Amino acid sequence: MRIKLKNLIAPAIVVLVLLLIPQLASEYVIYVVVLAMLYAILAGSYDLITGYTGPLTFCHGAFYGLGAYASALLTLKAGFSFWLAFPASGIIVFLFAAIVGYPALRLSGHYFAVTTFFFGHFIYLVLLNTVKLTNGPMGLRDIPAPTSFLGINFHALSASYYLILVFGLLAVVLLFLLVRSGVGKLLVSIRENEELSEAIGVNTAFYKVLAFSISGGVAGLTGSMFAHFFRLLHPTTFAWMTSEMVVIMALVGGMGTLFGPIIGAGIVTLILELMRFAPELRFIIWSVAIILVLIIEPKGLMGIVGRLRVGQGGKR
Amino acid sequence: MIFQQIITGIIVGASYALIALGLNLIWSITDIPDFSQGGIYVIAAYVSYFAVTLARVPFFLALLAAMAVGSVISFILEKFLYKRWRGSGRIQLLCAIALFFLLSNGAILLWTPKAKIFPAYLQGGIPMFGFVLSFQRIVVLAVSTLLFIIVFLFIQKTKMGKAIRAASQDREVAQVVGINIDSVNSMVFIIGGALSSTASVLISPLYAVFPAMGDLPLLKALVGGFGSVAGVLIGGLGLGLIESLGSVYLSAAYQHGFAFFVLLIALMFFPKGLFGKV
Amino acid sequence: MKAILEINNLRKRFGGVQAVDNVSFSVEEGSRLGIIGPNGAGKTTTFNMISGAIKPTSGTIELAGQRISGLKPHRIAKLGVGRTFQNVRAFGQLSVYEHVLTGAVASQFHFMPTPEQHEEVERILELTRLQEVREAKVCDLTIAAQKKITLATALATKPRLLLLDELMAGLTFVEIEETLELLRKVNKEMGVTLIVVEHIMKAVMGLCERIIVLDYGEMIASGTPKEVANNKAVIEAYLGEEVEYARG
Repeated sequence: MRIKLKNLIAPAIVVLVLLLIPQLASEYVIYVVVLAMLYAILAGSYDLITGYTGPLTFCHGAFYGLGAYASALLTLKAGFSFWLAFPASGIIVFLFAAIVGYPALRLSGHYFAVTTFFFGHFIYLVLLNTVKLTNGPMGLRDIPAPTSFLGINFHALSASYYLILVFGLLAVVLLFLLVRSGVGKLLVSIRENEELSEAIGVNTAFYKVLAFSISGGVAGLTGSMFAHFFRLLHPTTFAWMTSEMVVIMALVGGMGTLFGPIIGAGIVTLILELMRFAPELRFIIWSVAIILVLIIEPKGLMGIVGRLRVGQGGKR
Repeated sequence: MIFQQIITGIIVGASYALIALGLNLIWSITDIPDFSQGGIYVIAAYVSYFAVTLARVPFFLALLAAMAVGSVISFILEKFLYKRWRGSGRIQLLCAIALFFLLSNGAILLWTPKAKIFPAYLQGGIPMFGFVLSFQRIVVLAVSTLLFIIVFLFIQKTKMGKAIRAASQDREVAQVVGINIDSVNSMVFIIGGALSSTASVLISPLYAVFPAMGDLPLLKALVGGFGSVAGVLIGGLGLGLIESLGSVYLSAAYQHGFAFFVLLIALMFFPKGLFGKV
Repeated sequence: MKAILEINNLRKRFGGVQAVDNVSFSVEEGSRLGIIGPNGAGKTTTFNMISGAIKPTSGTIELAGQRISGLKPHRIAKLGVGRTFQNVRAFGQLSVYEHVLTGAVASQFHFMPTPEQHEEVERILELTRLQEVREAKVCDLTIAAQKKITLATALATKPRLLLLDELMAGLTFVEIEETLELLRKVNKEMGVTLIVVEHIMKAVMGLCERIIVLDYGEMIASGTPKEVANNKAVIEAYLGEEVEYARG
């Protein structure tokens, strides 16, 4: 796999900026950037199942929440250390997604999408109502920060921030390797033409469930990161609005490009934060923005970038 | 007590079924689950509310006004938005969801999230089995039944109805035979808008009018919204009943989660939807 | 020579229609078989049953002695059956190169495509004369080119048996000749058994060693091209339609 050096310049600059944030920015900005990074991984993992493999899903927020609560509860109630709870929550959500995905992915596109909608809502209800376990609407607090590792104290804000940055970078690299690998090619074949994909020997049912599960698992890991950084969980954070926002981020950035959704997430999170003062207005503007994106360039930001490249006479 | 739950279940189910019927018609032609109907549901409720409280219009006139508004909005959305992406179901679905958010949040912005109480238009009811069945609830049943019959006859007997059925079977062949796909598309959206509006206006006096009122009914309607007219009716009513009884005998908190299981089970056994297409 | 494909008493019923009615034949390994017949005769349905896209109502299909009827399409593909579709199915957004490479990866999975696989793709692109458009997006190309691409992709899966469903439809005279030459090469040099469904008589008669004729789901004739061409039942099956037109 050849990666051109010039393509690394933009990502390198972004990583540099991210490295400097805790040194230069206020606490508020750090929180926002952390949120943006978490959403970026959510959107990236979402792209794996929807952008690359095909099926639209609306339960990504629920996987995020499942991972968050699983990790929090494992540390709070089962005495796990974060370093064990983190991978465990990823595995738990991976399995959950596999169990739900196995029957659900037999359904055709729209039925499957609606099913994920309901599944997501159901998870939200569970988080809200099993008060004994999750504290329900009162929220889960005092979630421990990751225990000391290599002498680093994760109670400090900047240490926590860097932990998330490292997680984010690793996740992006892994997702990138996955979509560029043979697996990625087979997933794309399923998206492009499922029948032909079957006919050339791809076990489409298996790969769809695999993509769905990996995407869910990564969302679960991201949830764990969220839980131990913000140390406070509330079910509404993971209601369907979150799933919807992930879809928007992926759409705005450009589905099926991995970096599109990641960038899209960053942009959307930042703008959402800037518009905190008028919540309803925010969503109206987002709705209008989505429709405009769909009218002008359904391939999102990456689509526009592609068009510019072609316009300059460059090779696509 | 159980009888009351059953009645409530049927009433609520009837409203799901109405929305579901519209969704089903739209979906059978376009393959889009039209989420924007959830937004139209909300708008219709407010239109009728203001018609009754501000313009002092009698209820049934307000109902007709709301139906008209709903149909027009639905028609416009199809003509200027959905039509652009005919053939790309995914873009249409995303647009539908965006529209749903737009309309719901627009309602919050215009009329605040606070619920508005819809004044009762009929007082009293029929006493039976230990409770009183209000006339307003009977109206819901009556109007729903009437609409179902009208739509059913329309689909079966009229020229446009046959065109809709043909187009739902095979779009390309229908066009070859000379059916105007644009008209068919417009028609199903008009009907869909009218049905969602009716469901909303009928339910409003029984519960309340508030911007988020469209969220859950829309999702529930999607459960019942696959299949023939009979299938939609049974699916919608069935879900209403399951929810109503389930909320009392199983768990009130998960009332809205039942839809999930009903959907899963229904789709596992009927992956192509209940009772086939319209 | 042993049979690579054995079809016995194959039947398929769709509701009230008997699409394929008691069809039996076997195909020698390395041979070229043609299946012809009027529209609706059951040719594509038979293909669909061999490739696993649909399940037979009854009857058996065996690939080199192994029963494949009822298996899922991807399993049958992995066992060595490749096919093209009547309505071109392609991975539109991919480049031609990526498209063919996907075929190679699908049949022999490696986490990263190996250099051998890349070489194989190059070879196939050369064989099918697609090198010039290797970077083009498949959906931007003509139907004829897309057909070649799906054929190339099928070849990348290293099939033992290739099912070609109306590959020549819509091709120009020159394109047909090129395709026939390509198919002969694939058959002789790569040892791939061919089963071809076609309407273009000249192509079928010229390419195939044996031909079977289907009409209304039944097999009404089988033999060499010459035998079949002179077969009374076959002539009637085809001309029967034309006579109707003439009278009509």
